[in-house]
Amino acid sequence: MRNGDAVVELTDVRKEYSDSVALDGVSLTVLPGEAVAVMGPSGSGKSTLLNMIAGLDRPTSGSVVVQGTDLGTLGETGLALFRRRGIGMIFQFFNLLDDLSALDNVALAAQLTGTRAAQARARALELFGELGIAGRRDVYPARLSGGERQRVAVARALMNRPALLLADEPTGALDSRSGEQVMDLLLDLNQIGQTLLLVTHDERLATRCATRVIEVVDGRIAREQSLERTP
Amino acid sequence: MSPVWLASWAAVRKRKVQTTVIGLVVCAAGATLVMALGLLVAADAPFDRAFASQRGAHLTVAFDAREVEGADLTGGAESAGPFRQATLDTSGEETYLGTLTVVGRADPGGAVDRIPVTLGRWAERPGEIVLGVQPGARGEPGFEIAVPGGGTLTVVGFARSVTGSADAWVTPEQIDALRPTAVQMLYRFDRAGTAAEVAAGQAAVTAGLPDGAVLGSLSHLTVRDKVTSELGVFVPFLLIFGVLGLVVAVLTVANVVSSAVVAGLRQIGVLKAIGYTPDQVMAVHLVMVSVPAVAGSVLGAVIGNLFAKPVVQDAVEGFGVDALSFPAWVNVAAVAGLPLLVALAALVPALRARALPAARVIGAGTAAHTGRASRLQRRLAGTGLPRPFALGAGLPLARPGRSALTLASVVLGVMTVTLATGLALSVMAYDQAVRPSHADRLELMAGPPSGEPAFVPPGEQVPTPRLSDAGDEAALRSVPGVTAFLASARLEAELAGGAQKATITFHRGDTGELGPRVLTGHRPGRPGQVAVPSRFLNQRGLSVGDTVTVSARGGRTQLEIVGVVLTNNADEVFADWSALAALAPGARADSYQVRMAPGTDRDAVVAAVREADPGLRALPPRDSSSSTAVIIISSAVVLSLVLGAVAALGVFNTVVLNARERRRDLGLLKSIGMTPRQVTLLLVTSMGGLGVLGGLIGVPLGLAVHRVVVPAMTAAGQADVLDILLDVYQAPALALLALSGLVIAVLGAVVPARGAARLSIATVLHNE
Ligand SMILES: Nc1ncnc2c1ncn2[C@@H]1O[C@H](COP(=O)(O)OP(=O)(O)O)[C@@H](O)[C@H]1O
Ligand SMILES: [Mg+2]
Repeated sequence: MRNGDAVVELTDVRKEYSDSVALDGVSLTVLPGEAVAVMGPSGSGKSTLLNMIAGLDRPTSGSVVVQGTDLGTLGETGLALFRRRGIGMIFQFFNLLDDLSALDNVALAAQLTGTRAAQARARALELFGELGIAGRRDVYPARLSGGERQRVAVARALMNRPALLLADEPTGALDSRSGEQVMDLLLDLNQIGQTLLLVTHDERLATRCATRVIEVVDGRIAREQSLERTP
Repeated sequence: MSPVWLASWAAVRKRKVQTTVIGLVVCAAGATLVMALGLLVAADAPFDRAFASQRGAHLTVAFDAREVEGADLTGGAESAGPFRQATLDTSGEETYLGTLTVVGRADPGGAVDRIPVTLGRWAERPGEIVLGVQPGARGEPGFEIAVPGGGTLTVVGFARSVTGSADAWVTPEQIDALRPTAVQMLYRFDRAGTAAEVAAGQAAVTAGLPDGAVLGSLSHLTVRDKVTSELGVFVPFLLIFGVLGLVVAVLTVANVVSSAVVAGLRQIGVLKAIGYTPDQVMAVHLVMVSVPAVAGSVLGAVIGNLFAKPVVQDAVEGFGVDALSFPAWVNVAAVAGLPLLVALAALVPALRARALPAARVIGAGTAAHTGRASRLQRRLAGTGLPRPFALGAGLPLARPGRSALTLASVVLGVMTVTLATGLALSVMAYDQAVRPSHADRLELMAGPPSGEPAFVPPGEQVPTPRLSDAGDEAALRSVPGVTAFLASARLEAELAGGAQKATITFHRGDTGELGPRVLTGHRPGRPGQVAVPSRFLNQRGLSVGDTVTVSARGGRTQLEIVGVVLTNNADEVFADWSALAALAPGARADSYQVRMAPGTDRDAVVAAVREADPGLRALPPRDSSSSTAVIIISSAVVLSLVLGAVAALGVFNTVVLNARERRRDLGLLKSIGMTPRQVTLLLVTSMGGLGVLGGLIGVPLGLAVHRVVVPAMTAAGQADVLDILLDVYQAPALALLALSGLVIAVLGAVVPARGAARLSIATVLHNE
């Protein structure tokens, strides 16, 4: 089954590492505007699944199609170009570049797509304002709080208006208050149409902002459930 | 700014320590490289350069003036002259300059043998004279030289012909007053690279002239050989330091760069995740290290030039090379070559970064930096050693590759220090042997010095003894405190078979105690015997048992070489007093040497001598260091300091990286109560072991290289290898040298270790 409109289409994806099987025949379709939460125990393959979709890693078998592009046909450089425009990523541990100020971390993403520096900074500042961190623009990541860092990471992910936003336990390293703020942010984004794939441990947060929850156990999709969001 | 430049520049700016270390290492390496290359190039052929720039004469010929009257002497070759030539005998005059070959020449320029005036000006009027300078000669122009038979000449300048075509120059008008008997011609040939070509050139220019027209000739090759042997001593010395510098630089840069890439693994994953292509990631890592490398190499080249030029200048000054310009390629090689080398050293790890799967580096969330704690490290931690020592000693084992590179740079640093020390000791031993300072000896002048022309400063009296030779000997021997006596008389002689001069020194008295050391054969004991320095033999292809023919003061005699003595002057030979009568009947000693008993007051002896014979002049104690020795010793010191510092920087970088990787562990250690001082101790200890090991490996290597370099230097100087030059290391010195590894390691480690120890725990844990 191939859905022409799907943002993500995984077909029977298998990923083996030398000593383990991280994904064992996963098929998944994500439609535009969906907010899919991926849940499951630690080591079940959630991050691996996200990495496949981001083109950060390649499946052992099966196909990964994102926005109509079969990632298997792209080389490393092609994948990088694809990530620049098509994907925004957020990580549990932020993964900001320590050597750049908050603003530069964000602007960099746009500069990669050829946007001129001044324009990139203007757009970054706009996002900083929307995310409530305008005052922290010139601060280096080491001096930001966890919640601030994650908001900078979100801003970076949104810079190029990606068709798909991937978030790997975005609240995992945050205290509950900051975690909720970030969750609210993602919910807001989804409500204005941003397609979202989110890995989380927290069932409450998942049910609050996801339209669909997928549970991964031992590299397989064990359960799938569509939700009415609880506001 | 492009994304690559942005990320690189951010890394350069924020990782100030790493950037600075790379910059400093490259700067030090660049300075060493420029210095080594510059010195190598300078040592290569300063004579050739001077010869080319002064259009030196391939052949200098002295013709008999009567035989060539009116003849065309140019012989179709490029030439200068004819210049009339006279011999000016200044012996017996107040200002004693020996016997000078004086040429009447209006212009120091011209097509052949352009003579640079080093001080003052060229002779423009009759009554003026320009003197050729001997290396090391002192004096200011302005003094006067008496001409035998009346009149004086005023010295208006000093100059030097590259081939030493004359000892002095006057105007063509003035030369007539000096009764010239010869005519000098200076030739340049199309081909003059070999002795045969020069001989062919000579045959061509002298064709058709009567027999006996040529009084003597001098090939540029003869002069070149002699000069090359003087400077050749530097070549092996500089070569080895140049190579050592290069290897230390390469090792340190490799260490710094590959570790810098390794330390940035997480950043690589992030860059890839946000869309940097593999090539861009590689470029970031190359640019990141190239920025300080370029800055360092430019700075290094500047420093190298500043330091090397005076050394080069010193080394070649004596040969009439005044303004030496550094070839541009030396600087280009350093400024372009070093960053290229850095980029090459960075290429392998940068390619690794390029190929690195992003998912693995960022997937772990925190940067994984477990390293490998070996069994040995755990065992060390379990010993009874104080905690910081035990933990620190094992740290290098976690990063074997980096530790091996660090060890190698320490080994090279120790090797350099060992070699430099040994060379300095050898040079001093040689100097002490050939030019002993002998604090217990007193030298007395008893007549005009002869041999090499030397300046007696204007105003000083030439010694004129009141007593007879025998009377002086008796008087000196009876001075209280004098235990041995030696009389010397010197005679300038011509060696048959070429226009070569030699000084024969005749000795009388306690030759066994005060004469030069006999290395092989025996001391000359009767007329017809001579002892010579090994350089005399080597330069002339002679050996003990051969006979040389010498002529002096109109007499001619044959001398058999019966022994080899240890002196540096290749042109001074030694004979017994009994041989003097044959060559110069009635000559007296021109100098005396006495040895004083230990504890004797030098001034009292001098006063007693003056009392006995006021005509004798006591010489001040000898300064035993030659300028060659000073240059070698000081450059050895400078080079070992530079390379030692580069080695210490290698250690510095390793500690920075180790501490960076282990900052979490260090934070934990501090959080459980380790004091900053203990953390410093831990990190310094971690390098101390490498330092000790480096010392133990580096010293024997340095000794081995010393055994190769010293013979190469003596061979280049046409001297012999002697045990006293090789066996210069004493046990205490060796122990100190072995410790230099520890010194390098501790000096390199202490600053970054203190920095890491002072880092607050909160900062560390917050950033993880
Ligand atoms: N780079 C890797 N090399 C080897 N095994 C890996 C790698 N990444 C993940 N794994 C393994 O794959 C499995 C799934 O990991 P992951 O996707 O990170 O799980 P989750 O994110 O659900 O905790 C685990 O067993 C993990 O050990
Ligand atoms: Mg995970």
